[in-house]
Amino acid sequence: MSGDSELAALLDVLSDDYARSILAATSVRPMSAKQIAEECDMSGPTVYRRVERLREHDLVEEQTRVRVGGNDYNTYAATLSEFSLQLDEGSFEATLEAAPPPEFPGQHEDDAADRFTKMWEHL
Amino acid sequence: MAAWTLVQWLIAALAFGSTVVGGYVGYQAYRGFRRHHSRTMQYLSLGLISLTAVSFGVAFAGSVLLRRGYLPASYQQPLTLATRTFQFVGVSLIAYSLHRRG
Repeated sequence: MSGDSELAALLDVLSDDYARSILAATSVRPMSAKQIAEECDMSGPTVYRRVERLREHDLVEEQTRVRVGGNDYNTYAATLSEFSLQLDEGSFEATLEAAPPPEFPGQHEDDAADRFTKMWEHL
Repeated sequence: MAAWTLVQWLIAALAFGSTVVGGYVGYQAYRGFRRHHSRTMQYLSLGLISLTAVSFGVAFAGSVLLRRGYLPASYQQPLTLATRTFQFVGVSLIAYSLHRRG
């Protein structure tokens, strides 16, 4: 990780209770902003502001769910799996480990046949 | 022909419903096979269709033919055997599709 200001910004995001709650909730399963608001007991604007900051630091990933009748919606999934900070020879070194969110096979498929195939083949 | 009782209607409706829903699931598996060239899905779709649509279809058509007297009563057992055979073939194909890959 390069730059003190980047580290400071990252620590700033992670020091926020709301942001950590969102990370914790979306590490279990991808959630829409509304689901996060309900799960974490936050207002909609709070969720959006935090999610935006988390996305700027690539700590959450946005996924679009397509609905057959239109009305697509976005879900967010935590990508962070580990954050570590090392102090060595006068400088801080921060390391972020990202893990792809656990996925149910075929969960992003819109078509029943595609979803069915992936589910069955991954049993 | 005597009027059907409520239970007979329910049995017929559920058998028909199983045929339709089973056929739908089998059809989705068949589409999966066509779209992904997946042999696994081919066996799954054949198994589901045999287990549901085919066996229910045979049992239902057979019972109607027997009831109306188009088939002699001695066909009752062979029809049941045929139905059970399609069910067995169906679950066997599904089990096979679980274990084969690609």
